[in-house]
Amino acid sequence: MASEDEEFTMLFQDFYPSLCRFLECLLGGRAPLAQDLAQESFLQLHRTAWGTLPVGEARFWLYRVARNLAINEFRKSNTRYRLFDRVVEVMRPRARNPEQEYEAQERNAMVLEMLQTLPEDQRAALLLREQEQLSYREIGQVLNISESKVKVDIFRARASLRERWSKLSGLSRVVGIGN
Amino acid sequence: MNCSFTEKISLLIDGELSPVEAREVERHLLTCGECELLRADFLNLRSQITSFETSLQPKVQNRALKQILARRRRAAVGGLQWNFGTQALAFATLLIVAAVIGFVAYQQSNQRERKEVAVVQTPSPAPAATVEPARSPEVKESPEPVNGGTKSEPAPNKGNEEKSPRPTKRPIVREPKPGEQFAAIPDRVRSADAETMTAIHFETSERLLLAFKNVRLNEPSAAQEVSYERKRAKQLVYQNMLLKREADAAGDVQVSSLLENLEPILIDIANLPDQPDEDTVRAIRERVERKNIVGLLRVNSTALARALD
Repeated sequence: MASEDEEFTMLFQDFYPSLCRFLECLLGGRAPLAQDLAQESFLQLHRTAWGTLPVGEARFWLYRVARNLAINEFRKSNTRYRLFDRVVEVMRPRARNPEQEYEAQERNAMVLEMLQTLPEDQRAALLLREQEQLSYREIGQVLNISESKVKVDIFRARASLRERWSKLSGLSRVVGIGN
Repeated sequence: MNCSFTEKISLLIDGELSPVEAREVERHLLTCGECELLRADFLNLRSQITSFETSLQPKVQNRALKQILARRRRAAVGGLQWNFGTQALAFATLLIVAAVIGFVAYQQSNQRERKEVAVVQTPSPAPAATVEPARSPEVKESPEPVNGGTKSEPAPNKGNEEKSPRPTKRPIVREPKPGEQFAAIPDRVRSADAETMTAIHFETSERLLLAFKNVRLNEPSAAQEVSYERKRAKQLVYQNMLLKREADAAGDVQVSSLLENLEPILIDIANLPDQPDEDTVRAIRERVERKNIVGLLRVNSTALARALD
């Protein structure tokens, strides 16, 4: 039991923040909900698949379950979470100076806003690629789609985001990095 | 995005192209400004998306981990309890069923035994004068010297009771001739009910044999007395058979042997004619005395009664 807990704790420490970020971007913010769903994903992993699943597969399993949970949440009313998110945002401690914090918040808000313009399947595929650095094959396993669809979805998501950001103010100038 | 390489730019930055294809796209990028700008924009998008910071705080993460582990342990304990409960329930059900069956069987056998005891203990008009007064516990008579061989009569108040060995919990029946079948020590113990029945049977049989010994054939009431002994013997024969079967089943060799010796005597008495001749009665009496049946019955009934006390 102890060694199982240790292994699980290691997995949790490694992937819980990433899963929270993935879910937060997928849900368009709503950090508490994202954290709850991430926790629920780990809980389900432990209840149903832990010990029977190969260690390398656990990560993909987690993202698959988390995404399904997020899709379920899309169908529910989110008023309560929006209100709660605002409260949490206000209560969040400021580790950096106010200017840095403001810039980070603005950047996060912009990313979330832009990601929300994408269809869910494209958004999930793009997030798994960009944030979690999964291969197309792995993304296909997580999302239960073919590699060809992954390729198309990711390209369309990028193209869509690029066009939208270019319309706003020009991607390169807004971001100010990468050149 | 009119260039045919645009989609491959996405694959290129994701490392999903083969080396040959990647070199081809890289060469194209040197000459195609549109594709080069596209790659830069895609990489900028990547930077923006990966720079997204989750609002997760360490204490929230730790709390989540604790909750998951705690829930898991509770679930494990609950599962164990449920599993154990199911097994325990099944086992308890089996025990209850077995107990009910055993209780019913015990009740039925008990009722049978009560009926048999009632038959055995029916008030016997045995002539008190003919029965030895040895029933009172104060009179510690030894009916027969335990190792006395084949002496003719039980000698009441002979005064050798202190020398006679105290019967143990399992009565040791000594055959008049040493080295016979009573040497074996029983290795199985019968139930208290069976021992009670046996003790009562021995006592009743002893009383019958004593009464039979004292019947005076030359008196007018001899026929009536013999009639009573005959009737009593018929009842005891059946009881004797049952108890012998039970003793055999229980492996009690001593009691079984004694019952085996008693049985033909009871049968002979039961089969006596209404007006038995003196020789027949004497033959039965001599056989009883020769086998020391009365003494063995008394020793064993007393021992069984003490053991039951």
